Amino acid sequence: MLLAYKLALASPRITARGIEASEFATEAERHGVHSVPAIVVDDRHAWAGSVPEPLFVERVLAASG
Amino acid sequence: MTAGFVLGEREQAAIREALAGLERHVDVLLELGPSSAPVTLLAAGGREVDTNATTRTIVESVCGLDDSLTLEVVEHHGPGPWPRTTIGEGLVYQGMPVGYELTTLVQAIVEAGRSESSLSAGSLERIETLERDLAIDVFVTPT
Repeated sequence: MLLAYKLALASPRITARGIEASEFATEAERHGVHSVPAIVVDDRHAWAGSVPEPLFVERVLAASG
Repeated sequence: MTAGFVLGEREQAAIREALAGLERHVDVLLELGPSSAPVTLLAAGGREVDTNATTRTIVESVCGLDDSLTLEVVEHHGPGPWPRTTIGEGLVYQGMPVGYELTTLVQAIVEAGRSESSLSAGSLERIETLERDLAIDVFVTPT
């Protein structure tokens, strides 16, 4: 979650939102979230699990393309 | 504070120490919904919790620990993505920040209070190549 926030702070093009999956279960189900952390980029499920910063950045950029 | 979510002395001291590193002022916006519908949460050990009231208690407690933080509370009367906490320029957390997510909330405040990004030079260079707007949502469950 923190990496998403760091990206949002570093780029005016990026917004970041953390969502507690059990409180917002309908939203989590809509995105096919089965495990956390689950990363959704532009409303599409991108991947699940924590990754190091360089990989996080590359995956976000890849998901945006 | 709601039972089970009290910030203990040690917790408060750790948060105060983290916030002491703030290099600039950080605004925090807390948006709450109606508090009439408690929900059962795994994060609360399967207990029923009024997430709005509990979040208010937690966020008010955290923001009360450092003068560099300003908290604004807005109460909504209809349904919505509440409780929602917005830190600085648009770092959003939807839900009750307990367990590990309390740590994340504090870390997000610390990041928003930095004068320079803590990302690596390589990461900053890569995200500069972004040519369109992008929304990242991260689903989490406090443990």
